[in-house]
Amino acid sequence: MIQFVFSLLIGIALLLILYFFARGGKVSAEGSAQQLREAKQTLDSLQFGLLPNDLVHRIFAREDLEYVRRAAAPQVQSLFLSERKDISLAWVRRVRGAILSLMRFHRGHARLYAQLNLSTELLLAINFARLLMVCRILEMALYLRGPYAAPGMVRTVASTAGTVCTISEKSLVFLKVNQIDPLKNDPSHHGASV
Amino acid sequence: MTIFTQFVWLAGILLEGVILIRAIYGKFLTKYYLFYLYIASVFLGSIFLYVVDIVIHARLGRLYWSVNFMTLSLGCGVIFEISRQVFAHRVTLDRVARWSMAITFGAIFFLVSVHAFLLPQWNPTTNSADLERDLRIAQAIVLMTILFLAGYYRIETGKNIKGMILGLGVYVGASILSLSLRLLVGPAFDTAWSMIQSSSYLAALSIWAVALWSYDPGPAPRPPISGGEYRTLAGRTQELLGSINDQLDGTPPR
Repeated sequence: MIQFVFSLLIGIALLLILYFFARGGKVSAEGSAQQLREAKQTLDSLQFGLLPNDLVHRIFAREDLEYVRRAAAPQVQSLFLSERKDISLAWVRRVRGAILSLMRFHRGHARLYAQLNLSTELLLAINFARLLMVCRILEMALYLRGPYAAPGMVRTVASTAGTVCTISEKSLVFLKVNQIDPLKNDPSHHGASV
Repeated sequence: MTIFTQFVWLAGILLEGVILIRAIYGKFLTKYYLFYLYIASVFLGSIFLYVVDIVIHARLGRLYWSVNFMTLSLGCGVIFEISRQVFAHRVTLDRVARWSMAITFGAIFFLVSVHAFLLPQWNPTTNSADLERDLRIAQAIVLMTILFLAGYYRIETGKNIKGMILGLGVYVGASILSLSLRLLVGPAFDTAWSMIQSSSYLAALSIWAVALWSYDPGPAPRPPISGGEYRTLAGRTQELLGSINDQLDGTPPR
């Protein structure tokens, strides 16, 4: 029975993959100007629009909630929470979209290289997948409990992201990026040019 | 022999001949030599079996499985050809596909050897359906690996290769499903299994005939870029991922 289920699953999976392969859209030209421009816009949007500390702290600032609770009527408090929830959800969705664009850009460019580093590619794929999952969990937490109401859940998400961060750091050490291109990896240089 | 079997047999020989003639006429036989070696072997095997069926019908059963296993083994060459063409100029990806091929086919042949040595009553001709299903599963796993890698890196394929993949995929997928059902249902499913197998093979041949009507290898890949540049790209992507992680880590200040 196990043999039957296994082979049945393999057969169905193959036919499904073939279906998606057959209806796959046209791939944009490798390294086209449009592709590069989109990647640059994504990076700019991430680095200067979505990720700066000020913006992130502003969206999730607890002082704002405390001030509204002290000074405003219940209806205003409710309106504030609802709008802050919308803003935080829009932020996390945009970050997720940017990560997806970055992933597509990396994959689109990596295919040009004759000799990929298999372990680097695996680590990148895992990191992308984990980051996307972290964003999704954060999005669900914000949607279900609001921007301030789920500290425990947010801490869990943050610690997962911390693990991802450690993996990234390890892979950075492995790659020795600083030795490859010391000028462009200067922290003061906001390398928006991939 | 039923009318349906007769029709499939003759239509198959005709389509195989057309595929070979088109390749000779278009002078691209050597471009996909492993694929055409398979088609030629199936073509000659089908004619041989057809003649045997007419002249000495009693010996057809044993000869059928011998020819079938030979073409089945050469069918692995089609997957090798697909990997070679899809990952031309992509050394690492081609290596991954070849490793998955070596591991899956190696595992199947190892299991067959173990069965043959440890179980005296077991032999490939009496357990032919099991063996064929296992080999088809190995082919499916390798084909899925190739398709996953090609999809992940958005590697474009030409009409010829796309047709080769689709034709083989349809045949392998249908064979696995029908062989699995045959295992479950038993001899009562034999007629349906035979029809599914023949129809899917005819479908594969039709796809190949259309896709390989003329030479179309797809867009020429750009010359490969050096490893140093790749490390820079991968390094920068990692760096940016790290920076996003840092930001997410400190997201909602508590």
